[in-house]
Amino acid sequence: MTDAGDHTASVVVTATVRAVTPFVVTFGLFTMLHGTTSVGGGFQGGVVVAAAVVTLAFAFGVERTRRAVGTQRSLAGAVVGVGLFAAVAFGSLALGGGFLDVGTYDALGVAKATVYAVELVEVGIGLAVASALSVLFFEISRVVR
Amino acid sequence: MSADPTPLVVVLLGVVLLAGIATALARDLLVLTVVFGAYSLALAVLWVVFRAPDVGLTEAAVGAGVTTSLLLVTVAHTGTSAIKTGAPADETGPPADETVASADETEASADGTGVSTTEPVIVLPRRPGAVAAGAGLVAALGLTLPALPAVGDPSAPAFASDAAAAFYLDTAGAFGVDNVVTAVLVVFRGFDTFGEVGVVFAAAVAVLAVVGREVT
Repeated sequence: MTDAGDHTASVVVTATVRAVTPFVVTFGLFTMLHGTTSVGGGFQGGVVVAAAVVTLAFAFGVERTRRAVGTQRSLAGAVVGVGLFAAVAFGSLALGGGFLDVGTYDALGVAKATVYAVELVEVGIGLAVASALSVLFFEISRVVR
Repeated sequence: MSADPTPLVVVLLGVVLLAGIATALARDLLVLTVVFGAYSLALAVLWVVFRAPDVGLTEAAVGAGVTTSLLLVTVAHTGTSAIKTGAPADETGPPADETVASADETEASADGTGVSTTEPVIVLPRRPGAVAAGAGLVAALGLTLPALPAVGDPSAPAFASDAAAAFYLDTAGAFGVDNVVTAVLVVFRGFDTFGEVGVVFAAAVAVLAVVGREVT
């Protein structure tokens, strides 16, 4: 796979990946955002999105996908994801509760504030996981080049 | 183990077992990687059958998908995918590493830089001690299998004798988080989950640090 940089799979593979990827990413986002009411959560949704990135790389070439997604952008996504989690964790401190005590968000007076705080944590986890796995894949695949 | 396993579970467990054995016996890194992916896929379906769809989702995406691709990319970097078991390497270096050697001249290209005309082969030293340790671990874990409660058994210790499960099930709804797994992960044990996300982030940073030094 030394030609992975410019390699493009057959039209059957690229057309299939083109058609499937939006649904896979949507399913990943759904899994992230519905972690409070149904199966899933940030880890599950994040790895599904990362798997979609890997699928793109196998169809259109690792190098091309890496240029399109961007290692720097992926790393920034991981930072934002961890930051979201940290913001929710420290935010409950600011409201007078304990560290990561999401129950204190109900003091804001917003309906279902705790659920939204948990969803924010899930989105942060998903963003961090998807971005970190993308960074792993992109950077390991170009170590020797 | 009161409940009889359904034919589906038997077949899936058989696929998992066969794929695991095939992974251990494969003599080619690409074959090994693909068979290992099939192992993860069967395991993912098995998780869904056992009513753990979130674990199945993760297993399918990480085990069968992302890990397989990472291994494929790594195999591509080795320059060869053929492996064979040989005598323990008698070189001076640390014996833990696998050696890349041509089929004919074991000493000449042992440093991996020499380009040989024949297809290079990764020689793995035989390790009877490791095989014995693995077999012993499998036997020890297998002995504990009859002690496990049946799948979904309501009188299993995790449900019956522990007040924690009842607390989680009762309190999660009060937070408005109906998925108890998410409630445990974020609401009750958020500190652990925060650390896990930190580990994932650290993995990305570590790879960037290593690659950044190698790619000048």
